[in-house]
Amino acid sequence: MRRLWGAVGGMALLLALALWNAAELEDFTQTLSDTLREAEQRVEAGDWAEAQDLTKEAKTTWDQRDLWLHVTLRHTDTDAVQTGFDQVLALIDCQDQAEYASASAQLLQRLSLMAAGEQLTLANLF
Amino acid sequence: MAVALVRTVILYLIIIVGIRLMGKRQVGELEPSELVLDLIIADLAAVPMQDYGIPLLSGIGPILVLLCLTMVLSVLTMKSLRFRALLCGRPSIIVRDGQVDQREMRRNRFTLDELHEELRCQGVADLDTVKYAILETNGQLSVLLKAAEQPVTAGQIGLKPPETGLPTVLISDGRLLRRNLQRRGYNDTWLQKELKKRHLSREDEVFLLTVDEQGTVRCTPREENP
Repeated sequence: MRRLWGAVGGMALLLALALWNAAELEDFTQTLSDTLREAEQRVEAGDWAEAQDLTKEAKTTWDQRDLWLHVTLRHTDTDAVQTGFDQVLALIDCQDQAEYASASAQLLQRLSLMAAGEQLTLANLF
Repeated sequence: MAVALVRTVILYLIIIVGIRLMGKRQVGELEPSELVLDLIIADLAAVPMQDYGIPLLSGIGPILVLLCLTMVLSVLTMKSLRFRALLCGRPSIIVRDGQVDQREMRRNRFTLDELHEELRCQGVADLDTVKYAILETNGQLSVLLKAAEQPVTAGQIGLKPPETGLPTVLISDGRLLRRNLQRRGYNDTWLQKELKKRHLSREDEVFLLTVDEQGTVRCTPREENP
């Protein structure tokens, strides 16, 4: 019986960790998205310097969790977000508003899809 | 990750049902749950091994879940006969008193060719000599001959041959297995005496030396390298 409960407990622990990971990822990407949206608003107001600071802040936050993200997510997804940040920062440097808006929207979409893909939903299961 | 874990459980259960429906002949020498475990673990381990873009954790997590599931199922099969029958199936009597049960054969998708092949493998040529042929849950066929067809045993003709018991290896390929020597209650002096009897002086001159429970020593000297 001890083996049975050990195995059931093991599975419950793995599932709990996975669910915690999904919730944590959703919070994390939400924070990044909020910062990036704020940067978008600054660009619309013509404040490129503040937009750059906010985007850099979001990228630093992303880099700080790099190990966790690489261990738990597909590397193609994490690499795409990393490239997205670099592209958005480059377009801020160029101050090209149309291109920036497109790249930022794409980055926000990637972050949102990445978090959604980890949620335990029927759509993801089947 | 949570999606991968729950998907693993769903696929594991679906494949077990699939293997059970495929019948005993597909199982080989493993129980259905063991076969499914081997199939999926091999695949789960191979994918992150080959694709560096997939985190190792996405292979390790499902493998851990599978091991836990197998543990749960094995405990449940020990506790409940009904669950064991559901998971592993029941043995099927294919031949009874020399008569083939065609319904059981159809149910197990077991062909006459396969039956004859299995019987021949077990040295049985005539179906009339078979009392029972049972298709076990692991896909093996057990054949029990009629009493009149079974070989005579020493007990049946009143003989009492000595029990030789399990032979213990004392020297294997020139290496003395001291633990086995001590377990059988012998020592180096006894071993040297036995070697001397066979015109040998050292352990490394022996390829294999065994002793059974009657104390009978069998020795194969090592051949010289060509």
